Amino acid sequence: MANPEDAKVVGECQFLGLEREGMTPTTNPNVVGVGIGRKTVRGMSSEDLALKVYVKQKVHPLLVKDGLVIPDEVEGFPTDVEEAGEFSIWRPIPPIYQRKVRPAMGGLSIGHFAVTAGTFACLVRDAGETFILSNNHVLANENRGTEGDPILQPGRFDGGKTDRDVIGRLDTFVAVDPDGMNLVDTALAAPFDPRDVTSDILGIGRLRGTKDAVLEEKVMKSGRTTKKTNGIVVDVSATLRVGYQTGSYLFTDQMIIKGERGAFSAGGDSGSTIVAYDGKAVGLLFAGSPFFTISNKMSNVEKALDVKVV
Amino acid sequence: MASVADVKRRHEVRLMKMPGVVGVGIGEKDGKECIRIYVEKDHPKILRALPESLEEVPVEVVVAGTFKAL
Repeated sequence: MANPEDAKVVGECQFLGLEREGMTPTTNPNVVGVGIGRKTVRGMSSEDLALKVYVKQKVHPLLVKDGLVIPDEVEGFPTDVEEAGEFSIWRPIPPIYQRKVRPAMGGLSIGHFAVTAGTFACLVRDAGETFILSNNHVLANENRGTEGDPILQPGRFDGGKTDRDVIGRLDTFVAVDPDGMNLVDTALAAPFDPRDVTSDILGIGRLRGTKDAVLEEKVMKSGRTTKKTNGIVVDVSATLRVGYQTGSYLFTDQMIIKGERGAFSAGGDSGSTIVAYDGKAVGLLFAGSPFFTISNKMSNVEKALDVKVV
Repeated sequence: MASVADVKRRHEVRLMKMPGVVGVGIGEKDGKECIRIYVEKDHPKILRALPESLEEVPVEVVVAGTFKAL
């Protein structure tokens, strides 16, 4: 009785060019794999085992070049040719939130070239110019950035490169004060080309101005890591200590949000706009614990930067 | 009577210096405004040191973990 393992070793040598004692390895450019499995007869899997020869493309034996035809048997063991296409390593396509998108919009991955990645909040406008809004620790690297530093979309952690993914430059940031009370963690980037950005927020749409949220108000956000989530405001006058890479800082007049189903946010969602169900921006997400998400009030962000959300 | 926001403002700096306290806020308890003290974890040593009320405003303790920039 022919041994399937023997047939497989010979097949590997004949079709894939693997070494075997006493044989000259040859390769068949159409073969992508060899294995042992059930023989398929007229489209149905049969009971019989066969040497499976996986090919890029199945063609009629008469059209195959001499010497490249797969024999009916190998070492007395039946073969079964099956079309498998070309095998490649499985690289999942990242979600749109972490990809390069032009025009870029709120909810997408963004970051200073030295920062991993955060979230593009939304567009804001001063007297004439339009800016990209996010956190200081996303666009200005916790006070360490300098005006003019390149801002990448997507952020560095999502493959953003300084030679092809620069969407704009760091413009202004509100410095985080390590000794006093802070109201906001925010910064602005100026896009090179206004056509590279749009006022939409991915999965939410356009904003309808700004307001302050009230206790128990339902809100949502769209962010780089946890995408679109819904939550409820559980505190609108919190004073908190927040840990950063460079130290721990005090913030006051903050909002605390709890996710409706599971976490409202995770690392990388910093910079997300918190939007009320009426479409008004109420906050700028910047921190969290395993149980809660912390957000600046959008009214404080607008005041600190002297801008309005678009 | 002083507002809950005033009471919070008067006490928050002192409360924030207490071990295990990560935040002070305002919430609702039994339909009334209360002072919320957010603590890092549910540890008797932390909880024992916290007041039950501040200037007659009730206190609610909430376990929040540690807040980190995301």
